[in-house]
Amino acid sequence: MEPLDLEQIISALRAGELRTAARLISRIENNDPELLPLLKKLYLLGGNTQVVGITGPPGAGKSTLVNQLVSSYRQNDKRVAVLAVDPSSPFSGGAILGDRVRMSRHDADPGVFIRSMASRGSLGGLANAAADTISLLDIMGWDLIIVETVGVGQNELEIMRHADTVVLIQTPESGDAVQAVKAGVLEIGDIFAVNKADHHDADKLAAAIADMVASKGLVEGWIPEVIKTEAVSGKGIDELMTHIGAHQNFLKDSTPAVRARNLQKVRFRVLDICKQNATRKLLEGQYASDIEPKLSAVVDRESDPYTVAAELID
Amino acid sequence: MNDSANPQSGKIRCLLGMLGTDVHSKGIRTLAQLLRDAGIEVIYIGEHNTVPGMVRSIIVEDADVVGLSFLSSNYLDYCEQLRDEMRDAGASDTPVMVGGIIHQEDYEALGALGVSGIFGPGSTTQDVLDFLQQATGKTLN
Repeated sequence: MEPLDLEQIISALRAGELRTAARLISRIENNDPELLPLLKKLYLLGGNTQVVGITGPPGAGKSTLVNQLVSSYRQNDKRVAVLAVDPSSPFSGGAILGDRVRMSRHDADPGVFIRSMASRGSLGGLANAAADTISLLDIMGWDLIIVETVGVGQNELEIMRHADTVVLIQTPESGDAVQAVKAGVLEIGDIFAVNKADHHDADKLAAAIADMVASKGLVEGWIPEVIKTEAVSGKGIDELMTHIGAHQNFLKDSTPAVRARNLQKVRFRVLDICKQNATRKLLEGQYASDIEPKLSAVVDRESDPYTVAAELID
Repeated sequence: MNDSANPQSGKIRCLLGMLGTDVHSKGIRTLAQLLRDAGIEVIYIGEHNTVPGMVRSIIVEDADVVGLSFLSSNYLDYCEQLRDEMRDAGASDTPVMVGGIIHQEDYEALGALGVSGIFGPGSTTQDVLDFLQQATGKTLN
């Protein structure tokens, strides 16, 4: 692999060279260690584009809603990048990345960049790959970056920490209001969208979420909005855009709440990198062969997992 | 189980889709599942794609290989349009395979257009997997 010419890559990205961007994202996904100098540089240059995370249960209408959202931003002459994450099979490691099916009307539009990403196993890396891809899209100068992921599993939810604005989609069909309220995921939403709002239980669910949001209080200086959407028809999408814009304005003010939020974001980012580095170190090369007899001893109950772990990391 | 900690294990990314008005998607959906079960990352774009839209998707997704399914008779036209558009976009190095109802007498013409994998009736999953590994230079574990 030839050494990276950082200046050249960055000007290619700024000029919107798709192949350069697309190939770099693949290398990011493959944890290519050669990219490190570029990724550091991208971080320093980044932070210019609002990142909107969209999550919710399978079948909630995320891709359909993103499709409508992209259309609306395009009508306002905004250029949009979408990173769509779908789960990998834990058995084969393969994946079917199908988010483009709902967004195919934007395929040929030079003002839209849609990239699919598989979650690839549970050993970390997804959150980092997503964060680095966001940095790369940021430098390309899109007006908005949307990150879409299924809201199941820690792995997928961790990505939402890299978003500036999190839109949580719920649907009336997914159990009663108690289901919505008890789920911890509700705590991550900056905006709540009750999708499939033509359903007869939509008002009930919206009211339950609004109650929960109100009881949380104004801790972070932002009261999450609860809106109703119909992703198929596009109803409520403009309102969603308005709230996304309002949240961006909220983040622009350097209040202590916003600062705390950004610190928390970076804290997780650093921890994610630590986790990934440690995992890589422990599972590869010399470490990997050293660890085998120790694992064997743990199986035979001659040693314990705590002792082995302490030997690996003090 | 996959070894996602290994940075060298670059997955095969295969874009699967259909062009034009052909709606017979049972075959390509079945293939998508079979490829997923073999450890391949399938970027599934479904039916009703346009040639420019598909080519831009191939580039943006950095697909290692593209698979098209045809159950309509106009596959030669579409393959020619696709290869032309890929060439104009600088993406002609991405291998293309076709499957579905592909007639023996068209194999040569498809080959001349730069279609390097042809899987007509009677092809096995293993045939496709062998082709994917050979065409992409990546191995399945």
